Amino acid sequence: MTTSAPSVEPVDQADADQEIINRVLAGSKDSFGVLIQRYSDPLYRHALGMTGSPDVAEDILQASFIKAYQHLSEVRGRFDAWVFRIVANSCKDWLKNIRRTHVSYEEDDQPSSFSTPEEEMDRNELRTDLEYALARLPESLREAFVMKHVEGRSYEEMAILLETTVGALKMRVHRARESLQALLEEKYA
Amino acid sequence: MTDETTGAPAPDRPIHRKTPPATPMVQAWLDGEETRDHLATADEQETAELWTRINSEAAQLKRRNTPIHVQSKILNSLTDLPALPDAPAEKGFRLTTTTAVLGGLLVIAIGAVLGFMLVR
Repeated sequence: MTTSAPSVEPVDQADADQEIINRVLAGSKDSFGVLIQRYSDPLYRHALGMTGSPDVAEDILQASFIKAYQHLSEVRGRFDAWVFRIVANSCKDWLKNIRRTHVSYEEDDQPSSFSTPEEEMDRNELRTDLEYALARLPESLREAFVMKHVEGRSYEEMAILLETTVGALKMRVHRARESLQALLEEKYA
Repeated sequence: MTDETTGAPAPDRPIHRKTPPATPMVQAWLDGEETRDHLATADEQETAELWTRINSEAAQLKRRNTPIHVQSKILNSLTDLPALPDAPAEKGFRLTTTTAVLGGLLVIAIGAVLGFMLVR
């Protein structure tokens, strides 16, 4: 499993992806595992940030990769951007279908960097509140905020993946911050 | 919560903006375009403090990876080969002149055989 920071891959990486795609289309199913390993982490974080549920994020990731595999011959351009859009659209579809007003993380298998139970409790409370506030944002603002603050992408990367302009994305992220700040400051400021 | 000066009942969930809205400079700092040293006012520093806490929580999410079983689960779900644009199975039957002539000859031959058998 990869642990590198999510990013839009450079052109030579896109060429490498295309070679793998050719191998898969020629009958090497296992080669698809390379693409899964390469891109599953950033895609999982996106789905998790958008849905707030590890189980749903897993389901979306699985369904998206299966869909990508089935339509692999239709890839035009970069695989990473193409598969990202499949995941992003699945997240939006899920959000449209599930009218949830509150989401929370059901599990946390990450090691804690806090030393005392009090610090851990504060951290869990902020996480829950952040997720609650995120869930109240419109989809487009939540998507932009998650990509910027959770996935750590640059505006240029986001513009490629979402097929829009840097200016429009900055506006979305700034609006998302204003909304989140308004929702969180009462408790944490 | 009640208004202590008038004693008037306050709304159930009063909204107090304890921190000022993020100024363009704060947004630029959050975008990584400016350093925190450039946040000159106390208001900006206060807003920055709140965002430091939020970003610290977001950083926790940033470290989350795909659960180990998911990748193999996905691979195991891939049972068939992906669809190919020029896959023979998708072409279907195409009638050409050759196949039409051969088909016609086959029908005539079968008819002749049947006719011969009936006559006998």
